[in-house]
Amino acid sequence: MKKNLALLVLIIFLFLLPILVGKYLLYMTIHILLLSLFALGFNLLFGYTGLLSFGQAGFYAVGAYACAKVLLVVPSLLAGIFGGLVVAGVAALVLGILCIRHTRIYFSMLTLSFGMMIFSLAWKWRDMTGGDDGLVGIPRAPLEIPGLLKLNMTPMENYYYVVLIFSLLAIYLFHRLVNSPLGLTLRGIRDSETRAACVGISVVNYRLLSFTIAGVYAGLAGALLPPLENTVTPPVAHWSHSAEPVLATLLGGIYSFSGPIVGAFLFYIIKDIIVRFTEYWLICLGVIVLILVLGFRGGVVSIWERKGGQG
Amino acid sequence: MNGVIRTENLGKYFGELAAVHAVNFALKEGLFTSIIGPNGAGKTTLINLLSGYLFPDSGRIFFQENEITRMPSHKRVKMGISRSFQIMNIFSRLTVGQNILLPVLSRRNKNSSWLAAINSQKDAVKEAETILQEVWLWEKKDLPAGELSHGDQRLLELGIAVASHPQVCFLDEPSSGMNPIERVKVLELVKKLAAERKTTFAIVEHDMDVVFSLSDWIVVMNRGEILAEGKPEDIRNNQEVRDIYLGEEI
Amino acid sequence: METLAFQGLVGLSLAMYLWLLAAGLTIVFGVLGVLNFAHGSLFMLGAYFAFTFYGLWGVNFWLSIILSLLTVAVVGYLMERLFLRYIYHLDHAYQLLLTFGFILIFDDAVKMVWGGVAKIPAMPSFFEGTVSFWQRPFPIYNLFIIGAGILVALVLWLLFEKTWWGRIVRASASDREMASAIGVNIPILFTGVFVFGAMLGALGGALGTPVRVVAPGIGAAMIIQAFIITVIGGLGNLKGAFVGAIIVGVVSAYGILLFPVFELFLIFVIMAVVLMVKPQGLFGG
Repeated sequence: MKKNLALLVLIIFLFLLPILVGKYLLYMTIHILLLSLFALGFNLLFGYTGLLSFGQAGFYAVGAYACAKVLLVVPSLLAGIFGGLVVAGVAALVLGILCIRHTRIYFSMLTLSFGMMIFSLAWKWRDMTGGDDGLVGIPRAPLEIPGLLKLNMTPMENYYYVVLIFSLLAIYLFHRLVNSPLGLTLRGIRDSETRAACVGISVVNYRLLSFTIAGVYAGLAGALLPPLENTVTPPVAHWSHSAEPVLATLLGGIYSFSGPIVGAFLFYIIKDIIVRFTEYWLICLGVIVLILVLGFRGGVVSIWERKGGQG
Repeated sequence: MNGVIRTENLGKYFGELAAVHAVNFALKEGLFTSIIGPNGAGKTTLINLLSGYLFPDSGRIFFQENEITRMPSHKRVKMGISRSFQIMNIFSRLTVGQNILLPVLSRRNKNSSWLAAINSQKDAVKEAETILQEVWLWEKKDLPAGELSHGDQRLLELGIAVASHPQVCFLDEPSSGMNPIERVKVLELVKKLAAERKTTFAIVEHDMDVVFSLSDWIVVMNRGEILAEGKPEDIRNNQEVRDIYLGEEI
Repeated sequence: METLAFQGLVGLSLAMYLWLLAAGLTIVFGVLGVLNFAHGSLFMLGAYFAFTFYGLWGVNFWLSIILSLLTVAVVGYLMERLFLRYIYHLDHAYQLLLTFGFILIFDDAVKMVWGGVAKIPAMPSFFEGTVSFWQRPFPIYNLFIIGAGILVALVLWLLFEKTWWGRIVRASASDREMASAIGVNIPILFTGVFVFGAMLGALGGALGTPVRVVAPGIGAAMIIQAFIITVIGGLGNLKGAFVGAIIVGVVSAYGILLFPVFELFLIFVIMAVVLMVKPQGLFGG
């Protein structure tokens, strides 16, 4: 009960946010929400299915570039967002078929490789992606349902609400998913793929499903980016961007539902602080990864649960 | 009558080593069968081939006269073949109840159901609870499976193996690595399951008392081949079998 | 036709750097069971250290190579003893995460120490000049590289097939418990093999000093090439690493010639094809 109350308060707080804080913090909150979605998808693969992917930024980028291409032609926000996440899902399905049949180590290698393949495409295919200049002039198109409503997205507050609602819906769907028989099946595959096969579960099919859903979530996060920034550039596909959901999930807690979200929040706080002192942000990220792997594998959520908090 | 599951000239080779060679095995429905033999005889390999964990290099496998030689494990389970493992293979981070729930959901084809909560699958949950009681693990259903004692994990192994309502169930050394008290309990459970369910059991076992008291049929393997098979009294009196056990009291 | 033949030669010399890189990665995986994501970074460090000794401090070329190997050996030793060792018993995922963390650290570290600018020092005088192949000039240094690569391949083959040490390593790779039971000191062996693998990678980087650009980001680029090679050749397999490196090197060279800009993508396509046809690699089992 206490947990549900806290959740309600948090959601109300998020809806009131534009009134309470300035543009910078609002902008950062949007990014935290995007990373939350990105990390949730990553953790469906890692915490729930046991597959460690270092290439999720590839699908984030596919979502971002696809959305941008749509918006440059059809100025409808919904078209852009759904276009982005669908194309990302298809990309995940195709690459998933190549990666998923392998042992976990091969899988991790392949995800890093394919992620960077997408990066190299984004960087070199000038005609399609604008090369290292990227795509620019992407409109923050209005939220339009033909015949029903048309909301102007120019003020950031309006766009913030769109992101917030998409995020809450996506998080809610994710919650239902991981608590469903499908979620249990994925966790069984994580714990013992041999046993899972021996109780009648087609391990390959479920892993592919998990990989595709993770790609959709990455693509959704990516698709929400271009209307915010008005540009998309190749670094969104780089492996160092793939490192962000990894770190966020490690920070927050791999085996918990809220871990990736808590981690996304902490990630931005930490990054914001570190970046004020040094441009060498990756070293700090790397050191944090080392500390977490060596000492705090359960992340923040597990530390909190151990101290008797509401887990 | 042909066996409910049978093999024709089955062979599996690892380099020069013939783990299983020219094996014509048939499990007869309703007959509790023990597979015995010295270490390295090929017993576990045979089970791995029958359950789909490994594919043979030669020969064929039939289940109810349908060929299943290269069918993947999960499909064999759906057809009615299941197994337990000698080395523990449970879902350690899931609760005991969830360990049983997974095969139940699988049998009902509900694994991909993703919108409804697990608890709303009332029939499946009920069935799982019945099985938990059957294997004496009901009080521990909310414990993470990895935290169970070794003996209880073995009971869980058995529970998972029978939860898919198999027609044939292979138990690979179900009581291995256990102290005498735990062994009795596990073997009691095997006896109970064999009596109460419509499943034909085949177990790999080293304890000769158990083998001779439980079995309707015994298959003896040695060096990858079937040396002899028959009713317990026939096997007891078989000189070749006595030889490979070097005069042990059998 | 002659252009193609010549480009094949170019590809062969390119392949040798990749071979040294992939050999180290695959040996460490084969024996320790650890996939070192940061192996490309060790290659990069080898290049940076050799550049510093030879290009910045004017140390003798051969000495620079040796010093660079020794320095990276120390880095590898510290990585294994202070970090990797503590997580061998954990799920493989944590080993991957740890070594991934190291990529992040090394990538920024080289920026901090050497700055972000790419550099190429002068060619040592005894390697200056070219040899003519099919009426085209082929740098003598590249011939040296091809020779060095083949020499390393022979040495490794001799080492693992013919020597006592090699037999111990191979035994430990296939059965750790048994090796330990017959008295092999596994922790020391692991450290030794890890350092050996690191030095191979560093050798690849160091030998590139007079011809290849040294820049941050090489670490990540190389590890991806190494992954592609091991996917094609089979993980843990030295023969596969050698063949895979040649395939990737030669295809890259042809890619640059025939499909410029997309040569990297071409390599990925080859990898995808191998994955679909023979998932465990050409020599994998």
